Amino acid sequence: MNLFSNNKKHPLSEISRELRIDILDTVFKAGFGHIGGSLSSIDILVALYFSKLFDFNRDHFILSAGHLCLSHYAILAKLGKFPKKLLDTYSEFGSILQGHESIDVPGVEYSSGSLGQGLSFAAGLALGDKDHHTVCLTTDGEHNEGQIWETVMFANKYHLGNLINIVDCNGIQIGGYTDDIMPLKSLAAKYIQNGWTVTTVNGHDFNALHKAIIRSKNSTIYPACIIAKTISGSGISFMEKNPQYHDVKSLPQNLYLTALDELNQK
Amino acid sequence: MNSIKNNNQSIRSAFGDTIFELGSAMSNLYVVNVDLKTSLSLDKFANKFRSRFIECGVAESNAAGIAAGLAKSGKTVFLTSFACFSPAINWAVIKQSICYQNLPVIIVGSHAGLLSGDLGATHQMLEDVALMRTLPNMSVCAPIDANETTDIVKYLAKTISPAYLRLVRPSTPIVPKIKFTPGKSQIIQSGSDVTVLGYGPVLLQSLEIKNFKLEIINCSSIKPLDSETILKSIKKTGRCLVIEDHQKNGGLGDAVANLILSSGIKCKFISLGVDNQFGQSAKDWQTLYDHYGLAKKAIINAIKKLL
Repeated sequence: MNLFSNNKKHPLSEISRELRIDILDTVFKAGFGHIGGSLSSIDILVALYFSKLFDFNRDHFILSAGHLCLSHYAILAKLGKFPKKLLDTYSEFGSILQGHESIDVPGVEYSSGSLGQGLSFAAGLALGDKDHHTVCLTTDGEHNEGQIWETVMFANKYHLGNLINIVDCNGIQIGGYTDDIMPLKSLAAKYIQNGWTVTTVNGHDFNALHKAIIRSKNSTIYPACIIAKTISGSGISFMEKNPQYHDVKSLPQNLYLTALDELNQK
Repeated sequence: MNSIKNNNQSIRSAFGDTIFELGSAMSNLYVVNVDLKTSLSLDKFANKFRSRFIECGVAESNAAGIAAGLAKSGKTVFLTSFACFSPAINWAVIKQSICYQNLPVIIVGSHAGLLSGDLGATHQMLEDVALMRTLPNMSVCAPIDANETTDIVKYLAKTISPAYLRLVRPSTPIVPKIKFTPGKSQIIQSGSDVTVLGYGPVLLQSLEIKNFKLEIINCSSIKPLDSETILKSIKKTGRCLVIEDHQKNGGLGDAVANLILSSGIKCKFISLGVDNQFGQSAKDWQTLYDHYGLAKKAIINAIKKLL
């Protein structure tokens, strides 16, 4: 699958490429980071933040999977929420850019890291602020957590039509492939059975993401779930679908340059 | 303990009545519940303020997250359950989604301690104070009677940070002239022999002991702890007894021991609590207090050791 095939002429594709480089640079300099999921989720975040479908000064974005913070940091820096050079301090002592994101970061509404909690928080926020949308980003691996399913039932009961949960389904979690760690079977079926409006999309196709978001926003009575099929490490060939790159403790310079070269040629 | 057994006012009812009263005055007050509405005396609130009574079903983790999200949207939220479920099951959610965000959620853990009686070990929450007082941003309160419950609930409804409120199951006596002051402890009996510290109805037993000059202090604010009042009394008596219906590990006794050692004040010290054991059922919780060394007899023995 050429993940850029559908995006070549899309105006957001250049932003996405630029932010992939920011993520790669940040991980290389820090010698640490959850790069696989950050790269699989970046197109989703670009679609959310740059499609003009939401105003996150009033609408809410909750990153439930806090380890994907690198993609969120790159977005927020691009938006000017903090100076881009701050990315160089990622995970350093005293930096607001921790290894999992916190509300100390301008533009962040929820401190996350312990999986499964953000969707509950998002549902509570959606219940308390019905005039705006609350968008939550979770992952497929995160759906191992029972709390997620408590919230799936809750959102149906309270008709949270202003809640959208986007699931970054890259098939990989920290211990390996999701199918091996804990098979999820059909996520779509589970959400549909619980009364959610479900849309399954290619999570790297901006046109498809755009349509899915509009459909989800139009689901005003029922909560909406977008199941975004993505590729872990997307955009960097040797990282793609490779569980070793769920997170890295260091990134050798030769691999960094190879990856950078590939992103520069996109 | 007969005075407790025969008494007439329910801490739980005081909680429910106060929440109901506040519900009219505060349009932003929400109650999040986990299928324990009647047990926490919340029927009146739930019936009158339907849109602000959020029933999560038997799902404490989600309930804590919902409470946090509601608080983020500007609501004042009471998260209500038994202490053995909340904060026991959902502690990690309370830590991350409530405390770390510093949101105004009041976690109400009812049926705490051995006083839950016949429900047995799984329902006798003896670790909640330990769990909650270690969390940054969290304050911890435990009323001694129904009147203090009302005062504390009214105070907590106006706070802007997380709090834990520990309640007990049975009806208990009213202590004369109890007045809750945030962050302070109250001397409910002056004396010069031994300083007796505690929280909740278990402390009432010390009021029945008449052969010693006890200075009895109600530490309903467990965190923050009123170090000034406590140390002033201990400096005077030179003897300190802590009693709590909770594990000795991690409870008020540990907090006070740390306070005394750090202060440099020399004093004799005994802490009474459940000593690294689980509870068990009993039809009469007097039996449990006898068995676990929290009854009047154990208190008198401890006082004699200190003197």
